[in-house]
Amino acid sequence: MLASFAAAGIASGSSVDTGTAALTIGVFNPFSGPDASFGPEQMAGCLPAAAAIEAAGGILKHKTLNCKASDSRGDPADAVPAASQLIATTSNLVGILGPSSDEASATVPIFNRSKMPMFADTGQAIFDKNSYHYYFRIQPADDAGGYAMAVYAKDKGYKRAVAVFGNDIGAQGTLPTVTAGFKHLGGKIALSETLPLDQSSYRSEVEAVAAAKPDVIFMEADPQTSATFFAELQQLYHLVPIVGTTATIQSPWFSAVRGAIGAKNLKKYYVGTQPYAPTKGPAIVAWTKALRSVWTKVSQPASQWITNTYPESNYDSVILMALAMQAAKSTTPSAYIRFIVKVANGSPGAVVVHSFAQGKKELLAGKEIKYVGATGEIHFDRSNNSPGLFEMVSSDGQRGAVLSAAQVNLAK
Amino acid sequence: MSQSMVYYVTTILVYLGVDILACWSFNLQYGVAGILNFAFIMFQAVGAYTAAVLTLGPSSGNGGFQHYILGWTLPFPIPILVAGVVAAALAYVVGLIALRRLRADYQAMVMLVISVIATLVVTNELGLFNGPAGLALIPEPLSSLVSSGGYPWLYVGVTAAICVIVYLFVHRVTSSPLGRTLRATRDNQDAAQALGKDVVKLRLFIFVFSNAIAGISGALLVEFIGAWSPGSWLYVETFVILTAVIVGGTGNNAGVIMGALLVPIAFNEATRFIPPFGRPGLVDAMQWVVIGILAPIFLWFWPRGIIPERRRRFKVPAILLVGSDQSPTRPEMTTAEAKGEVD
Amino acid sequence: MTAVVPVYSLGFGLVTASILALAAVGFTLQFGVTNILNLAFGDLMTASALVGYGVNVIGGTLAESLLAGAVFGAIASALLNRYVYTPFVRHGTKLFGMVIVTLSTGIVIQNFILGWFGANFFSYKVAQTKTYHVVGMYFTSIQFMIMGLAIAVMIVVQLLLTQTRLGKAMRATAANPALAQISGIATDRVIDVAWLMSGALCGLAGVVLVLNTTSFQSTTGNDFLVVIIAAAMLGGVGRPLGALVGAVILGIATEVSAAYMSPSYKEVIAFVVLVIVLLVRPGGLFGNADAVRSSNA
Repeated sequence: MLASFAAAGIASGSSVDTGTAALTIGVFNPFSGPDASFGPEQMAGCLPAAAAIEAAGGILKHKTLNCKASDSRGDPADAVPAASQLIATTSNLVGILGPSSDEASATVPIFNRSKMPMFADTGQAIFDKNSYHYYFRIQPADDAGGYAMAVYAKDKGYKRAVAVFGNDIGAQGTLPTVTAGFKHLGGKIALSETLPLDQSSYRSEVEAVAAAKPDVIFMEADPQTSATFFAELQQLYHLVPIVGTTATIQSPWFSAVRGAIGAKNLKKYYVGTQPYAPTKGPAIVAWTKALRSVWTKVSQPASQWITNTYPESNYDSVILMALAMQAAKSTTPSAYIRFIVKVANGSPGAVVVHSFAQGKKELLAGKEIKYVGATGEIHFDRSNNSPGLFEMVSSDGQRGAVLSAAQVNLAK
Repeated sequence: MSQSMVYYVTTILVYLGVDILACWSFNLQYGVAGILNFAFIMFQAVGAYTAAVLTLGPSSGNGGFQHYILGWTLPFPIPILVAGVVAAALAYVVGLIALRRLRADYQAMVMLVISVIATLVVTNELGLFNGPAGLALIPEPLSSLVSSGGYPWLYVGVTAAICVIVYLFVHRVTSSPLGRTLRATRDNQDAAQALGKDVVKLRLFIFVFSNAIAGISGALLVEFIGAWSPGSWLYVETFVILTAVIVGGTGNNAGVIMGALLVPIAFNEATRFIPPFGRPGLVDAMQWVVIGILAPIFLWFWPRGIIPERRRRFKVPAILLVGSDQSPTRPEMTTAEAKGEVD
Repeated sequence: MTAVVPVYSLGFGLVTASILALAAVGFTLQFGVTNILNLAFGDLMTASALVGYGVNVIGGTLAESLLAGAVFGAIASALLNRYVYTPFVRHGTKLFGMVIVTLSTGIVIQNFILGWFGANFFSYKVAQTKTYHVVGMYFTSIQFMIMGLAIAVMIVVQLLLTQTRLGKAMRATAANPALAQISGIATDRVIDVAWLMSGALCGLAGVVLVLNTTSFQSTTGNDFLVVIIAAAMLGGVGRPLGALVGAVILGIATEVSAAYMSPSYKEVIAFVVLVIVLLVRPGGLFGNADAVRSSNA
């Protein structure tokens, strides 16, 4: 009745996979509940990748790749059966996008014991060093992002900072390192304020921030909370430069805060941190083309995804898994997994490729490849994390200062 | 059965056991004692947190990514038992506040407020249970006893054993004179008062007893999944248990098993197979819409659930009927029926 | 902080209290008359705010958005009562059953909004507002409008309840439905009016809530529900005047306490105030303790 992923003619060991069945990537993230916006964002990376892979003739003899959404509901208790079910009842499941911070601690071990490669989008520091063989992360950890924010603020000459973070799991991950980093660099954290989410007003909190007279505000909270907070900051005090985390560069956050303080002010006062990604080059061309081909299938408006590094990194994750399968001549996770690191990190003499089609061609020609995707170069460390670089981005998508690893290390 | 299928099936079985315990507990309160406990999930959560911090090692020795109290590394089954005791203690305090002679819907509102206070405290007190990120990497109990392949089945066995033991207690309470009195007072407190029973005390007893079961169910769950966070006990989670009790058969321990099987397990699992349509996320929102409609549909068509409570005929002292317009022999009877407004 | 109580935080409390008052009075008014605990109230606020948003998007003024929200709230509440709640009551659904029906309704409304509009955030387009300083307190023009609206509505509701035949009938029905019916009051009509009024207040509260938060999503109204219930209970459920006082106390308690300790605990303070009051006076400040006794539950 229910085929397991090992079925459908996938050969074991080193023999070549000659199966033709459609393959599936599980998109395991919240699709309902408070973080319901996470899931659609991942789909906006998976669907273009699947389309690009199909357009290039598929992986080995498998013509199609599907993206299957699985709702984790954003909490460990609901996520565990959802993860078990996804693994047990999906035919030809070959990899996972997710889990998110909300459910990672409970479900990473589940995917790992089932030998299912996952590209987690959690920023939790708990995974900076880990022994989960099937765990990968090409997005930077929250704590690294915190150091990057501190470095940027220092470079801008800000001296007094206020940290304003929501009391949710994502926000609290960045708080310790941004404050420690800024102090380490000689700055002063005048106040560290935790916001209870989605209140009708934050005027008391704003009053405390105003009393601290900051040059800069380090910030992460959900869109509604942030919008209310900044609107009231503007009314009661005045806006000051804001340095946001990687969670505050998303379209819902921008639209909420833009509605609160106006597009002009948002552009003037705000910069967010994001994993560095190139803005042009062949990989971006390939990404944009792939996104255009599924324009009506992703969450609307589709234009919000073009320069968003989160779907871009999800897209890269899927392409990376596909190229690894192609290189391993197998879609069996335990057989292709070691090729993920190989295709990403590359080996001396490997041909650099920027799309699935290009990579497949080189592999068929017997070459070794190194994939450099829409989010730039990926280099996995021993814990299969690829921390990458940070850059600052403004609300209109303009990218600014790129922070090197050496710079970020100064804050530690 | 492939290994992944074994994991899935055992996960479902453990969840079923946990949900059955939760439904029995909720039913004792709602179906037997007439307490609508909107803070139910809080008692499950306190059990889970207690078991977690008793099973985990010291907070400091953990790489520093999570902070919590205790961390005593106690062996199975102590954390689960203590979880029940702590939940019971909390229930005693909450019961003293909420179960005073307040109208039932008023009680429900007080519970709702208390459960929100609990969420706020746990989220903000970062050193208590690691705040919004919650607790993770809780070690599997008894995992040294069997091979990793056999472990899921061992845990299913533990869950089943606990269910059987709890059932013996629950059955004893519901079939005792205490249970009968409570059922009688469910709709008519004056009547029971006239009998000389101190209803508030009886209810408080049931409240403490049943929430101890809720605590144990939370403990069993957390020891299995190894993680727990505030997202796992939002107050809508109570609604799922409530729906299960209504669907299965309010007041009936066997019916409630059916409810646990159908709502949190069968319905939840089955709907995951619905092929996606429309925008990503649409299916999942619609699934909640359907869960939302389920309880009212049952209240309308089958208010007594799939396996209704047996009609118990026990002798009615004449005094019970004085000053009361409804007969306690039919505790499931509605006020409207009693007033003859229903044909 | 020179004064014993920082004056500015009093001002903050007044804005919160105004929003809360509109909602809590609406909530309690209907509960008092119909005895149905409407847990869909918060989600109806979100729905009304969305309707107001629709008017805003097509270029309506703020007043038109408020009006649209109020009208939608009123009609939706009345329809909800007539086609969902009342049939259940007639069908014989008890007190608990009705709580479950209203809770279910809320979950359905909320997820319907999520399904239809997606996990998006909405913001009204409003011209940038000026900030005014009044005796140490700061308010924006929108916040002045919110407070003015709340005061005006409170006066109208109070006059309606005490000075008109309909209002007296409503109060009589709230006090004793059976007696009211025997006395010749058309209780059905009174109940309809109660739902319409409650719904209008719900709609207004929804729009002003999101004007103050400046951005909202499918869960915004429901997140506010417990505070509304707390305000209503503090004043004594079913007592509009009590709900008003409850709203003011909670609004000010949250913001003033935030001036002294971590603001993360301001809601906890509000709820602890409620629990203490209930321990001393189970019926709330203005409620009749007998009315909430369980004897006739």
